[in-house]
Amino acid sequence: MSRFVLRRLLQSAVVLLGVTLVVFLLLQLVPGDPVRVALGTRFDPQTYEALRTRAGLDRPLVAQYFSYVGRAVTGDLGVSFRSGQPVTRIVLERLPATLSLALTAVLIAVLVAFPLGVLAAVRSGSALDHAARVFSQFGVSVPDFWMGIMGILLFAGVLGWLPPSGYVPLTEDPAGWLAHVLLPAATVGLVTASILTRFIRSSVLEVLSADYVRTAEAKGLRTRVVVLRHVLRNALIPVITVVAVQLASLLGGVIVVEVLFAWPGIGRLTYDAVQARDYPVLQGAVLLVAALFLLMNLLVDILYARLDPRITAR
Amino acid sequence: MSRIGSRLIGGALALALVTVGGCSSGESVDVDGAATQGGAGGVLTAAIGGEPDQLDPHRTSAYYSFEVLENVYDTLVEPDENLRMQPSLATKWTTSADQLTWTFTLRGGVRFSDGSPLTAEDVKYSYDRIVGEKLNAAYRFAAVKSVAAPDPTTVVVTLSAPTPNLLANLGGFKGVAIVEKSNVESGAIKTKPVGSGPFAVASYTSGDSVKLVRNDNYWNTKPKLDGVTFTFVKDPTVALQNLRGGEAQWTDNLPPQQVPALTDGGELTVQRKPSADYWYLALNQARKPYGDVNVRRAVAFALDPAAITKAAKFGLATVNQTAIPKGSSWYYEYAPYRHDPEQAKALLGQAGVSGLTMDLMVTSEYPETVSAAQVIAAQLKEVGITVKIRTLDFAQWLDEQGRGTFDAFMLGWLGNIDPDEFYYAQHHSGGAFNFQKYRNPAVDRLLDAARTQTDQGARKQAYDQAAKQIVDDASYIYLYNPDVVQGWSKKVTGYQARTDRAIRFRDVALTK
Repeated sequence: MSRFVLRRLLQSAVVLLGVTLVVFLLLQLVPGDPVRVALGTRFDPQTYEALRTRAGLDRPLVAQYFSYVGRAVTGDLGVSFRSGQPVTRIVLERLPATLSLALTAVLIAVLVAFPLGVLAAVRSGSALDHAARVFSQFGVSVPDFWMGIMGILLFAGVLGWLPPSGYVPLTEDPAGWLAHVLLPAATVGLVTASILTRFIRSSVLEVLSADYVRTAEAKGLRTRVVVLRHVLRNALIPVITVVAVQLASLLGGVIVVEVLFAWPGIGRLTYDAVQARDYPVLQGAVLLVAALFLLMNLLVDILYARLDPRITAR
Repeated sequence: MSRIGSRLIGGALALALVTVGGCSSGESVDVDGAATQGGAGGVLTAAIGGEPDQLDPHRTSAYYSFEVLENVYDTLVEPDENLRMQPSLATKWTTSADQLTWTFTLRGGVRFSDGSPLTAEDVKYSYDRIVGEKLNAAYRFAAVKSVAAPDPTTVVVTLSAPTPNLLANLGGFKGVAIVEKSNVESGAIKTKPVGSGPFAVASYTSGDSVKLVRNDNYWNTKPKLDGVTFTFVKDPTVALQNLRGGEAQWTDNLPPQQVPALTDGGELTVQRKPSADYWYLALNQARKPYGDVNVRRAVAFALDPAAITKAAKFGLATVNQTAIPKGSSWYYEYAPYRHDPEQAKALLGQAGVSGLTMDLMVTSEYPETVSAAQVIAAQLKEVGITVKIRTLDFAQWLDEQGRGTFDAFMLGWLGNIDPDEFYYAQHHSGGAFNFQKYRNPAVDRLLDAARTQTDQGARKQAYDQAAKQIVDDASYIYLYNPDVVQGWSKKVTGYQARTDRAIRFRDVALTK
């Protein structure tokens, strides 16, 4: 097991190196000049050249890349063009907000999707099943920014229960944190729940038609026991992958929702960095997201082996 | 009907989710502003539309940064509400007979917010830094030969040519603020700048807020507020909700379509002031057939600026065929164009142009250019010009503007005080922002002369002539001066919107 983990970690390092190269090359292809954006609309040509030199953009691309990678392995991801702050710090500062939004959203999604998906499958064809399908159709087809705006107008505007935007760290004020995280997390969670509901429903349906379920029912076990003991355990395995992938993509930041709710997460950071062509920050953010993805995948593989004795981690 | 239905379902589902999420105390929301409002003056929360890139006044070009820095820093002189320069750190100044030496007397006893004294050496250090490191505002010091600090309260600026607008250059905005050397050298200035202004930066949380506290060392009347917190709310609907809900007490990010209703209603104070900004259409004169003045004039006659303004700004702007708005001391009344498609067609015929396709570049950074482009395209269609609109993000837009790969673009120029700043850069053949490649020797001569003309009457006359020629040649087709639109809670007193968009909270108070 530990050899498996070690090998996977080494593979991840290679993947991350590849990510840096791809991102670096892609950024060279994107039109737009970070120096012009940084200077805005008023400056003279000497100012332009001076900033270009300070940012190191006048050096050959190969030199820029290798000095970046050289420093990156030591944890130094360079300095932001815009703010002059170390990228490592900027990116890590945004992590708690993104983590709290992603985890809360997934929690909401699982709490909604799990009972809904399972019940829809068990009572396939019933009114509840139809309602579940309408719900998941709604969730995936309505844009999240619209849902977010409606949430703000209702819960912050009409009802006045929740603040419309902003972020409070969990460590500073847990009640304030909860109040601020609920709306954005529910907005994101609803979309995720829709995807999960569909998936859980079809996964459970598939297992329900398996021979061993029929056998279990033939033994005279009650439906409740069959579902809880036999169906769920088997239906869960693919669901875990989907939950993990959803979580990983949320950890990469939910750009639209973060921008809407003024949420200081990775998504908003990425958005601002793209707008400003702040390459170092963009690279840092992408690298972090890639690392999180790899980590999630590793965790899922380990979890698989635990849940299903037929799968062994090698 | 179905729209309303789906809204209700959305609301109900969101409600269900909140309940499922385990919110047992959803009602007892602790609102930021309320929690931090201690002391007599209270803390005002201002929701601004975006985040500062950094807080070093000499290195940032972002308006969001200057919204904060206006309250943190001082300049030698500063514009009053009529944009006339008034004493600030300098109490008086004299000019030598040849107009080449300006001697400023500094206010005594001024201290930075950390308690260290602000002297002539700090002024010299700040100006030398901008010039020596070629920072953003270096262009404002083009005529400055040297800056000297013979004693702690005297600053001598020596020029290579008479510069009648030196005061505007040294005080027009906080990009020429007086900074503290140790704050610069430690690097702290990027996130925790130290100035001599009414407030001091207490903390800057990336992505979230900048918190200011009252500077008890401030040389002028102490601010009534305990502090100001700037939060970054990009979406105007959300910003308005923050204001209505009391999470913020001030914003300049109101949804434009709702401003008329908000101005009438009694729940908030919403102020509209005509700004000195202008928005324009520029045609690339290095490309055929836009080098022909008849083609450019044809476009000017084909446009209906009133309709463009309505689409772009929901009426929150004043149509103007020149750069400078009415009310400015530089205003020159001139409006030779009217919406006249027949005249436009005749001019195009004279130029021998037919079946023209125009590439118009606009940017999503300024949504008003995107809306305006639709109207411009429709109006030019009437005179036989097919407009191909390209909507780019700002980085790419600036890049293409710089490389000259466009037929036409629309953009604005913000925070204008002295005409030299914008006319020279945009319409002199050697101007750094003459992207439309306009070249008229007569205009060059006028702009060169006005730059060093110290007689205000003669200077105004030169700019009037230049303005007329620029409009006649349609170097730019000026469209409108937008309004400054800001809203604040009824609890806020002592705030005034300014035409230069400087956000000053020094005289503001919050009532309970």
